[in-house]
Amino acid sequence: MNRWRRSVGELQARRRQVTECEQALAALSKVTACFQQMASSLGSNTDGGGLREELAEIRAIAHRIYTGLHRRLITLLTEMEHGQEDREQVERLWVLFLSGLETFQKDLRKANSLQELFPLTQRRDRNTLIKTGSSGGSEVAARAATVQTPWVSAGEERCPDLQTQISRLDALLQEMLQRVNVPVWTVESTQEAWVEAGKEEVDDDETLEDLMQVEVVSQDSTTTGCCHHSNCRLGCILCLLT
Amino acid sequence: MTIRSNRDHGQHYRPRMHCLKKMEALVVEMQDSKSGVKGTEQKLNVTSIPHVVTGQDILAWIANKMKMDAQEAQALGTMLVAYGYIYPLQDHKKLIVKPDGSFYRFQTPYFWPVQQWQVDDIDYAIYLAKRNIRKKGSLEVYEQARYNNFHKWLNPKWDFIVMQAKEQYRANKERQKADRVVFDCQERAYWIVQRPPPRAHSAMDCLDRLVDPINSEPQTYDHFRRTTIYLQQSIMRPKVKSTVSLGALVKYMTTYKNHDPFLAPCTPSNPWLTDDDTYWELNMASVDVPTKMRVERWSFSLYELLNDPRGRKDFKVFLKKEFSGENLAFWEAAEDMKWGSAASMADQAQAIFKLFLAPGAPRWINIDGRTMGLTVKGLEHPHRYVLDAAQTHVFLLMKKDTFFRYLKSPVYKDMQKKALTPQPHNFSDAQLEQNARNRKPGLDPIIIWQKAEEERKAAEAASRPVDISQIKNKLDRK
Repeated sequence: MNRWRRSVGELQARRRQVTECEQALAALSKVTACFQQMASSLGSNTDGGGLREELAEIRAIAHRIYTGLHRRLITLLTEMEHGQEDREQVERLWVLFLSGLETFQKDLRKANSLQELFPLTQRRDRNTLIKTGSSGGSEVAARAATVQTPWVSAGEERCPDLQTQISRLDALLQEMLQRVNVPVWTVESTQEAWVEAGKEEVDDDETLEDLMQVEVVSQDSTTTGCCHHSNCRLGCILCLLT
Repeated sequence: MTIRSNRDHGQHYRPRMHCLKKMEALVVEMQDSKSGVKGTEQKLNVTSIPHVVTGQDILAWIANKMKMDAQEAQALGTMLVAYGYIYPLQDHKKLIVKPDGSFYRFQTPYFWPVQQWQVDDIDYAIYLAKRNIRKKGSLEVYEQARYNNFHKWLNPKWDFIVMQAKEQYRANKERQKADRVVFDCQERAYWIVQRPPPRAHSAMDCLDRLVDPINSEPQTYDHFRRTTIYLQQSIMRPKVKSTVSLGALVKYMTTYKNHDPFLAPCTPSNPWLTDDDTYWELNMASVDVPTKMRVERWSFSLYELLNDPRGRKDFKVFLKKEFSGENLAFWEAAEDMKWGSAASMADQAQAIFKLFLAPGAPRWINIDGRTMGLTVKGLEHPHRYVLDAAQTHVFLLMKKDTFFRYLKSPVYKDMQKKALTPQPHNFSDAQLEQNARNRKPGLDPIIIWQKAEEERKAAEAASRPVDISQIKNKLDRK
């Protein structure tokens, strides 16, 4: 009787951990998305010391989340033997976590080289920032700041600076690949294709598409090629004949 | 990752970093507020988005700065757009610079084409998912095809892709409207450059290389060792004087000049040009009377003679008359072994040994003792090329001796006299069109193979090995 109760308790504890990991994965996804959106304005006229500090804060949040999630997933995977019910779910989370980390790693690298390309140490460096037409604002950073880790983080280390974070993330990814043997192709997605379009509330975005179409100069629509040149047979894009 | 979808087959380095860096410097100068291209504002309903430049301003600035004329400036400007440093606001799929008032904007450096940031399929999948969310399923046809492809092949990561797409979409919605428009335009322009629609010429299409040509290899001991070995081997290679090799080239060209269908007109007419296949029918393998050009070609070298099936037949006839057919028979048997199936190797080797190489064999070939010894020893463990030395020897014998006798023989001279010279066709345009309409499909390869098999059997039946002993008997009986 006691053993049965204990195993039920174990099961419940494990399920709690698994849901925690899922929430952490969602939070990591949110944070990396915000990071990507903000990194896209690095080097543009909205770049500045403020943007870079915000990026550093977001990086720190992401660091906290993924180190914790990594620890928990590793313990879960090493505890559970092959064939238990939750194992598939944990493997799925593992694969998604891996892809998330890789994408984040790419963004970190891009951010690193962009920050080197456009150093803001001197006043005149601001002239080199590309004028892209955006006006900046820290709404995205505010969104990222609302992300919380689903567990109580006690006594975790401080976030390292960008280069160290990149190299540590490299090492982490390597270690992840070597330590646990989860083949990627065994995971199946739970989402059908084309479904995500229906779920999101899309408001006033028809006008956004129209906004993006600046008034097109009326062109002769009878040309088959991309330009009026008689020898041009290309569909579109690059034609050096004009 | 574990299984990266490496459809670029592991070749990541594109040899463009140098010129891209120069382009970047140019773009940075272009957008300078004081000395760059003059920017205006784009009006959209109530808001106005700054930093828009017109095509003609871009071209004028480039022509002025780089001291080029208008045509070169146009080409350079188009390159800038094609690589994605500037994107057009109207007609976003055509990546050219129009020398009029159409609007362009500078691309943010995050979306610049840079060599070391490999453009990943996962990013493209996230973008397509985002676009799907925004446009509620009405993507373009090629985008839909790619989306389905990703759903199939990136299925394990699909949940992550959708999650990330949703989060990026929500994060983008937090921005102000003008910024949202700008970012969407930027992203769209980026993906048009990196993943162009089908049948579109892309500036990013380029050979990918395995090694980054910019980073020089580290000068380690191993690197120097390999370089030394390579250079030593290249010294030891046999060298030919350029006069000799050029002389050979000139000789080849003078002999083959009239036989090249590009340099001299085909008689009667080139079938690819006039849709009339008389030329092919006259030159088939089993034709009775060959054309004059073909016969002339046989005289160039033994290799040409043997390669042409009709020529080989003729040579066989000559050799039969001279009772020295065993050389050619051996050569053909060795060819069969080279091209034959692996299973028949042992049997063929035995048959050839019995027929040609054993002392006292019916068709004993006369090769020198050393080659004979090597071949016989090799035949104990037969493989495809075991007769190679003997075959080369026999070929050289034929080339140096029999071939010239053949060219002087009455067989060949008869053939030369009999050969046809077809009249060149002179089709009018109407006849050409008729030819094109009357094109018939070629012979089914199965039928051709069957015919070849029948001929081979007939040839085998006809050419019994000429046994000296039998002929002697016949002579004796007389």
